[in-house]
Amino acid sequence: MQSIASYAWLVPLFPFVAFAVLLAFGRGFRTSGIVVGSAGSAASLIMSLLVLAERLGTNADDYNAGFEWIAIGEFTLRMGFEVTNLTTLMLVVVSLVSFLVNIFSAGYMRDDERITVFYAYVALFVSAMLALVLADNLLTFYFFWELVGVCSFLLIGFWYAKPEAKKAAKKAFVVTRIGDAGLLIGILLLFWHMPNRSLAFTDISNLFGQPGMADSGMTTLIALLLFLGAVGKSGQFPLHVWLPDAMEGPTPISALIHAATMVAAGVFLVARTYDIFLASPAAMDTVAFIGAFTALFAATIAVAQNDIKRILAYSTVSQLGYMMIALGLGSLAGGIFHLFTHAFFKALLFLGAGSVIHAVHTQDIREMGGLGARMKLTAWTFAIGALALAGIPPLSGFWSKDAILTAALAGHPALFAVGLLTALFTAFYMARLFFLVFAGKPKTGARAHESPAVMTVPLVLLAVPAIAAGFVEMPWNGWLGEWLTGTAEETHGGSLAFVASTAVGLLGIYLGWAVYAKGSIRRDAVSSRMPWLLRALERKYYIDEAYQRVAVRPLLALGRGLQAVDDYVVEGIVRFAGWSAIAFGRAGIRLQNGQAQTYGLTAVIGLLVLAALFVGRRFW
Amino acid sequence: MVADWPILSLIVFSPLIGIAVLLCMPGHRSNWLRTTAVAASLVPLALALWLYAEYDPAAGGAAYEERMTWISVPLNKEAFGSVASFRMEFQYHLGIDGLSLPLVLLTAVVAVMAALASVHIKKRWKAFYLWFLLLETGMLGVFLARDIILFFVFFELTLIPMFFLIGIWGLFNREKAANKFLLYNGLGSAIMLVAFVILIATAGFSAEQQADNRTFDVVYSGSYEALHHNLNDPQSYANQPGGGSGADNPYRLTDGMRTALFVLLLIAFGIKLPIFPFHTWMLRVHAEAPPSIVMIHSGVLLKIGAYGLIRLGVFLFPEQAQQWAVALAALGVVNMLYGAVLAFVQTEFRLVLAYSSVSHMGIVLLGIASLNEIGLQGAVFQLVSHGLISALLFLIVGSLYERTGTTRLPELGGLARPLPFMSGLLLAAGLASLGLPGLSGFIGEFLALLGLFETQKALAALAVLGVIMAAVYVLRSVLGITYGPLNEQHAALPDARLIEAVPMIALMALIVLLGVYPSLVTDTLQQSFGPLLDTFIVREGG
Repeated sequence: MQSIASYAWLVPLFPFVAFAVLLAFGRGFRTSGIVVGSAGSAASLIMSLLVLAERLGTNADDYNAGFEWIAIGEFTLRMGFEVTNLTTLMLVVVSLVSFLVNIFSAGYMRDDERITVFYAYVALFVSAMLALVLADNLLTFYFFWELVGVCSFLLIGFWYAKPEAKKAAKKAFVVTRIGDAGLLIGILLLFWHMPNRSLAFTDISNLFGQPGMADSGMTTLIALLLFLGAVGKSGQFPLHVWLPDAMEGPTPISALIHAATMVAAGVFLVARTYDIFLASPAAMDTVAFIGAFTALFAATIAVAQNDIKRILAYSTVSQLGYMMIALGLGSLAGGIFHLFTHAFFKALLFLGAGSVIHAVHTQDIREMGGLGARMKLTAWTFAIGALALAGIPPLSGFWSKDAILTAALAGHPALFAVGLLTALFTAFYMARLFFLVFAGKPKTGARAHESPAVMTVPLVLLAVPAIAAGFVEMPWNGWLGEWLTGTAEETHGGSLAFVASTAVGLLGIYLGWAVYAKGSIRRDAVSSRMPWLLRALERKYYIDEAYQRVAVRPLLALGRGLQAVDDYVVEGIVRFAGWSAIAFGRAGIRLQNGQAQTYGLTAVIGLLVLAALFVGRRFW
Repeated sequence: MVADWPILSLIVFSPLIGIAVLLCMPGHRSNWLRTTAVAASLVPLALALWLYAEYDPAAGGAAYEERMTWISVPLNKEAFGSVASFRMEFQYHLGIDGLSLPLVLLTAVVAVMAALASVHIKKRWKAFYLWFLLLETGMLGVFLARDIILFFVFFELTLIPMFFLIGIWGLFNREKAANKFLLYNGLGSAIMLVAFVILIATAGFSAEQQADNRTFDVVYSGSYEALHHNLNDPQSYANQPGGGSGADNPYRLTDGMRTALFVLLLIAFGIKLPIFPFHTWMLRVHAEAPPSIVMIHSGVLLKIGAYGLIRLGVFLFPEQAQQWAVALAALGVVNMLYGAVLAFVQTEFRLVLAYSSVSHMGIVLLGIASLNEIGLQGAVFQLVSHGLISALLFLIVGSLYERTGTTRLPELGGLARPLPFMSGLLLAAGLASLGLPGLSGFIGEFLALLGLFETQKALAALAVLGVIMAAVYVLRSVLGITYGPLNEQHAALPDARLIEAVPMIALMALIVLLGVYPSLVTDTLQQSFGPLLDTFIVREGG
């Protein structure tokens, strides 16, 4: 019997068919569009679960298949897919979140006249994302990596008439493309570096897995270039600037693309090419420290933001940094584990935020308040997500954060400290967010009421893994790590990490409660003493302004300068050439004036010149 | 039976049948005239498709060769030794190979689409379509000619129709643009002609055995075969140091001479491509020519420059190409970045596209400069891909201009609301142009860069900056037109009509097809660069 894994290519195909149907016949669709889109991702979910069941049941070998895409001379570029435990896990995460977001959007986007277009884009995204996950080589991976990027761009700019949406979409595309350029160079270098000119992940792993096989300078360069791609996609510093702005897109998109799936693709990329990184200590350190810096940096910004989605966006940036810390410390399982739990609780938080925005029609948390009583289901599920993110046991986020902190404690004390500090900030800003939105007195949202079931049911369904997803990997039971990597990681005995992370989580929540719910600490306790700090945080450390100064404006100036060169120098030379031909002609006309004297004079001058040349040559 | 037809001649000259029919039609019947022109341009497309289906890359195009003596002039030179006589002979020689075939198909496709797009032409339809079809014959001939004089004739045949098409049917500054076009291209032609004459007079000879088997005729010709043989076969007489009588060998081209010829060809075709700083003429053409003619110009005519550079520059002078590889790559990087930066600051959408073409032709240069099979295939793929993409972009520009009366970016915005179909396609074409995987632009770019990364890593890495820049300028201009707030006076614009939508969908479908199934082009190219690459390997080995 053929294995189910050999049909895994169907997983991305279903949503693609949905996309094709919506593109071709979608003009008259409304409800049918929702049905087609959701059916596509439902089919993917079922197929992914079947693959998962197969891989859980037996100790199945990795399945790999593909075809020759371009053959040139002795080289072939292939397209192919591969089913491993890692890809299976990602398939399930992506298709589950996609399916729930599809359902949720039926409510959230109900009144939008372009809802069919929305579902078409989402279907294309889901298809590309699943294909990215399945890719068995870097070229296939890059192909779909760019496609998910473009879907993200289309969906950020979905409300295209809004200037902010247009700007955010453009920014997302361009900034991630800077990372993609790095990834592209990395792939091109890698192609010529591989002895068999293959970009397959298994070949990469085989080559770089051998000690001493890889030339270290080149290995580091390639690893860093691949990581640059991950930095762009996963919103790591300094290419994080697009992700908060991406919140201009519809909220279900923020949940799906900019929290659970696409932005995690950078982490997935590092995991997929992990042997290159393992071969280069310098690259590993870079990953860990960029991740740590991003984690703390973004968490501090999140504290001072007032837009509910932007807080969550900075939180995403911060948590992706967390995953990078784990990868940089050599804990593949830790990074993927956090990716796994984060996908659920962050998608839950975003959809919860969507439910809130749907009710109150604002995204400013200062204008909200007291929603807990009116939107019980949203509030409860949001609380679960927030506690999971804050790392409170026994919710999922606690276990994955604990795994990372344990690895950091073993690997690098500074990273452990940064991780703890980040956890503190995380708990604080989530408490702030929660209490400002759901506690206190109602403000503008007086008429707010709970969202329809089509939106709350996905919240409840996501709350389940947000609570329980952590149980697959606990300090005393490393099932996930063993299933993913084949070997159990030695991360036991981290009771210090266990206690410390719980303590900072509770402390952060307490502080948030004390400041924003009870009022026992004044809100401007810090900002009144250090107003510059608040301003810097509100302005996100002036990174956007800095880019404006060092990249955008110089580029414009360069463009204008080159325009002047093009108009005056290049064109000028052309004009001069034309003018000189005319001038030469004019001079010629003067000679041809019909007077025998002039002709005679010319002849004499010519003779003298020739004679001079002839005589001159002798003495030369 | 079909196999016996002179298929290549039919492809080249079938547009002329259209001309004959057009001449018999009344000049005010624009629909009749357009239908005839479209039909006439469909004939070469059908034939080219048939040829593509039949073509076997492994066997090459020998079966389709057509050869006839065209001009034969006995030379008044005294016989000596075993040489009985000298004569000059130019042949009508058409041939096809993996390099020509994709470009012939591209030409035929773009011509049909441009003929359909000419629905926006408002005056003197008959003359327009006459020039149009003549232009098509010229373009097809350029890619199929196998003799440099025939090549030259077809090359010139494209200039004159273009001159009139720009000068009569263009926008406000059309005459100036037409003059500039003719001057620049005329200059290029002159330089090319100098190179050709030197080639014919030296390496263009071949020996023809007489009936008595002892004496032979020396025939000067412009045949690619003879030139290629004499320049690249070390056994050839052209590569022997001295003549039989001890004097200098008049057929021999020294390295310096070869370099000079290579540079002459580089300039001649560089003007056409265009290579910085010879690009200013094509900006005017992009801005002033009617959009359907820009489809041809940007879609096909620029490709002649690259084709000539590969066919006559690199194939005939591989050693010089190797010596100049770094310079070619540097020129490619300059083209790519210079075009990209300037495309970023334009306020006129046509000029954005013009500079974008400069940038994309830089990629072609990069592929050529890599001098390996992947890069060269990438260059050819990029030619085909850019031809389709820029044809689509200017097709949309034509329809936009028809509705809004402007293509200036500050005056446009938010058109996605009234024109969802056209805006969607404009965005898709823009994404193709910036090299999104799944669309054809990516393949050419990727292969060219992949090739260059083998031989010149630093310049190749620099070129990747252009990939980022492409996203910047494409999105700035395309989103500027389609996204954002709508200008109220454009609120009621009608979306594309059927006759506009059909070529748009067809071109987009081809762009997607090549993007997901690139083997359609690369398999055809399989054997095209083998002999060239063999010379490199031999040289490196020896």
